[in-house]
Amino acid sequence: MSEPGQEIGDAELDRDEELFTAARELEPAARREFLRRECGEDSAAFARIVRLLDAEGEAERFFAESGSALTLTNMRLDDTIELRTKVGSGEKGEETVGSRIGRYKLVRRIGEGGCGVVYLAEQESPVRRLVALKIIRLGMETRSVIARFEAERQVLAMMDHPNIARVFDAGATERGAPYFVMELVRGVRITEYCDRNRLTVRERLGLFVQVCHAIQHAHQKGIIHGDVKPSNIMVTMHDGQPLPKVIDFGVARATEGQLTDKSQNSGYAQPIGTPSYMSPEQLAVSSRSVDTRSDVYSLGVLLYELLAGKTPFDGQRLLEAGIGEMRRILAEGVAVRPSERLASLAPAEAARIGAGRRCALPKLAALLRGDLDCIALKALDRERGRRYETANGLAEDVQRHLHDEPVVACPPRRLYRFLKLVRRNRGIFAAGAAVAAALVAGLGTSTWLYLREREARERAVAAEQQQAMLRQEAEIRERIAQTALLISLERVEQADRLLAGVALEGATVEGAAVYRMVGEWHALARRWDAASDRFEALLRVNSLDGWDALSLDYLRCGPALVELGDAARYDRFREAAILRFSGAHNLYADRILKVSLLVPADPQVLARLRPIVSDTERAFAEAEASQDPFPAAWRAVSLALWSLRCGDAEAALRWGRRCLAYPESNASRTAAARAIMALAELALGRGEVARADADAVRELVESRLRGTPDLGNPMNGFWFDWLFVGILLREAESGLRP
Amino acid sequence: MSEITQVLHSLGQGVGSAAEDLLPLVYGDLRRHAAWRMAQESGAQTLQPTALLHEAWLRLGRGGHGQWQNRAHFFGAAAEAMRRILIENARRKARFKRGGDLIRLDIDELELAVTTPDEKVLLLDEALERLRAKDPEKATVVVSKFFGGHSNREVAQSMGVTERTVERHWAFAKAWLFQDIRSHA
Repeated sequence: MSEPGQEIGDAELDRDEELFTAARELEPAARREFLRRECGEDSAAFARIVRLLDAEGEAERFFAESGSALTLTNMRLDDTIELRTKVGSGEKGEETVGSRIGRYKLVRRIGEGGCGVVYLAEQESPVRRLVALKIIRLGMETRSVIARFEAERQVLAMMDHPNIARVFDAGATERGAPYFVMELVRGVRITEYCDRNRLTVRERLGLFVQVCHAIQHAHQKGIIHGDVKPSNIMVTMHDGQPLPKVIDFGVARATEGQLTDKSQNSGYAQPIGTPSYMSPEQLAVSSRSVDTRSDVYSLGVLLYELLAGKTPFDGQRLLEAGIGEMRRILAEGVAVRPSERLASLAPAEAARIGAGRRCALPKLAALLRGDLDCIALKALDRERGRRYETANGLAEDVQRHLHDEPVVACPPRRLYRFLKLVRRNRGIFAAGAAVAAALVAGLGTSTWLYLREREARERAVAAEQQQAMLRQEAEIRERIAQTALLISLERVEQADRLLAGVALEGATVEGAAVYRMVGEWHALARRWDAASDRFEALLRVNSLDGWDALSLDYLRCGPALVELGDAARYDRFREAAILRFSGAHNLYADRILKVSLLVPADPQVLARLRPIVSDTERAFAEAEASQDPFPAAWRAVSLALWSLRCGDAEAALRWGRRCLAYPESNASRTAAARAIMALAELALGRGEVARADADAVRELVESRLRGTPDLGNPMNGFWFDWLFVGILLREAESGLRP
Repeated sequence: MSEITQVLHSLGQGVGSAAEDLLPLVYGDLRRHAAWRMAQESGAQTLQPTALLHEAWLRLGRGGHGQWQNRAHFFGAAAEAMRRILIENARRKARFKRGGDLIRLDIDELELAVTTPDEKVLLLDEALERLRAKDPEKATVVVSKFFGGHSNREVAQSMGVTERTVERHWAFAKAWLFQDIRSHA
């Protein structure tokens, strides 16, 4: 019993497999007996199969263990990208310590980042000092890597801010690897510094504000950092004070497009950066729209971590989840407030975090509750529009908190403002607290503040509405992209939910694919209403595909509408199809022809189909002439159906027989032809013959329906080909009923 | 990119072994994509090959040409590409452990019981080649299931056989491969 697809197969191996498979089904005790019987004289075979059966358990373990190695851990660019070194080198080819590059002498390697290696180097002239020297890893000089390197260099050269690492120089090594020279920042990463030195919340906020200013500076130069995270923010000591410095603009993008444009995007929407610090839009499938607010998000994560000791989303869990899940978590998940996050920690951990902030836990949570919670959450909002517009905006709000002023992030409430007022003016209030409270709470200051805020809000709303429209469109596109990803991961149900409520009028390639896939999913489940909706949307949206693919989409929609039973809708569909396909001489007219005739048509419709019929006849003649049976046979089917609907049963039979006469049979096509012939015979009063044909078709359809429904293939027919057959068969069978 | 769509189209027409033509096209892209992703994530992160393949499909095969049967065929070729990438990776890791450049693992030197998972994968790969010489169909099932991480259904679709056949081949091949490795060691 060999499968039709098998060509060469080793006969002995096949027999072994048969025996093996059969023996496995038996109880262990019965196996040997069975094999002895089957193998007879062939003791070699017996031995082989027994060995295989015995090995099964160990084999399973072997595979399981190997499976654990099937991950792309530590896969590095230099191993897998085609080497284009100027000097061919067999080894990894890194610069060696002690070697000289220009006027810098390499002292030691201090790290790896992005696509380059960072060395500690000694500058000799004009000034002797220690610097950081970053070189592209040799053997990786692909265009996109070099371009990114160039970009980074330019970017850093543009910055001039005390909290950003300076760029001094740049060049290329003898081997052609680009490098640049930066201020050596000796320090530790910000989170570590804060923990080690047990900085209080206020002190941490002080450092954080400086980081925000640095990022703001970059934004003003038109640069988005794109990878703000603790390891990129070092704290060094300067005049006895801690000074945070932002390093590694390696993934920075210029907002003003000044930087080299070659290979800025290698065509992939590649998520850049560290997962737990990446904003949802950075992880998005179609991210062309990362902006300053993505940095704000990352700053929000940093703030969160500085306050609560943990990132809002568990970094490890994100990485293990894989990129699809990661996107979902970040896009849908809601961050827990920092104060609440503290509450959910194990006591030992909570104590450690409290110690790092010189503050016992209950008090720490109280400190964070309110302003700081709100600020962090605002920066971390999944909706970009709701975050702070700028890094400075974030910094200012933090500073307001530090000065006991009302914070923008918090919802405005009279009591809130009053409390702030009290705190700011502690002295006065402490004295005549009760009196003061009565005075202020009634009218006066708090009311005035409230009114001023309302004015500002009204102005903001108008501007906001304009923004909203633009944003909505972008969000719809984003949603389509997300849907596409979900479908590729076979989460079609989720995809469909996402699609609901999306009204995409313009054509996108991705939109069409998504509508098609979801429509087919519904169709396979026989949910004709939903399927029809999706297919109709598909036809509206799909104007980018050629006639070949487009006509297939009509073949999907038509039968679904017929199954739905909505005659008016099917009529409209038919009209639209005819309209669209009349005109140009169309190779695929036959598809439209047959899908328009699933249901008998009145003379007007038949008349309108004439141009399509001519096209079909012409195409048929061409196929015959070039001896191409596949399309010829299909066109014959359409012409058979046409003849039938026009009332010419004899012609229908002729066409049908012609179709069946072609070699390379195709089950669904055969079935279609015979169903049409059954109808023709019925029209001619030949009941017996009609019944025979109908029964044959019924059998074909049944055997196809056995097993799980799937989309099919061109060799045996797509699901819609079979649906087509089913519809005609129903018509025939109802005609045959006594 | 248009080359790939052409090949995918011809797959749709049912034209022969377009899956093999697809392999070199897919391989380069997959490799770059995988390596690029790894480079962006510092430290020892694990990357799920299936997620990678799904993503690659989205980028390479989406659009108006997203016909289902093409996807199945794509995945067949992509599994083979994935296998090569994974083997390269395993080889490199094994090389570091033992030092020096290894093109082939010297099986005689290895004691089966103490091989690392990477070495196991390399042994499997070599045995797989031996199996392919005898029976390409069974070998393809192994590649798709083991390296590509595909379900029985996906493999059945892409190879044009029944799920039962896939199960049969898979169970048998595992035992055969292991036995083959053992007999050579």
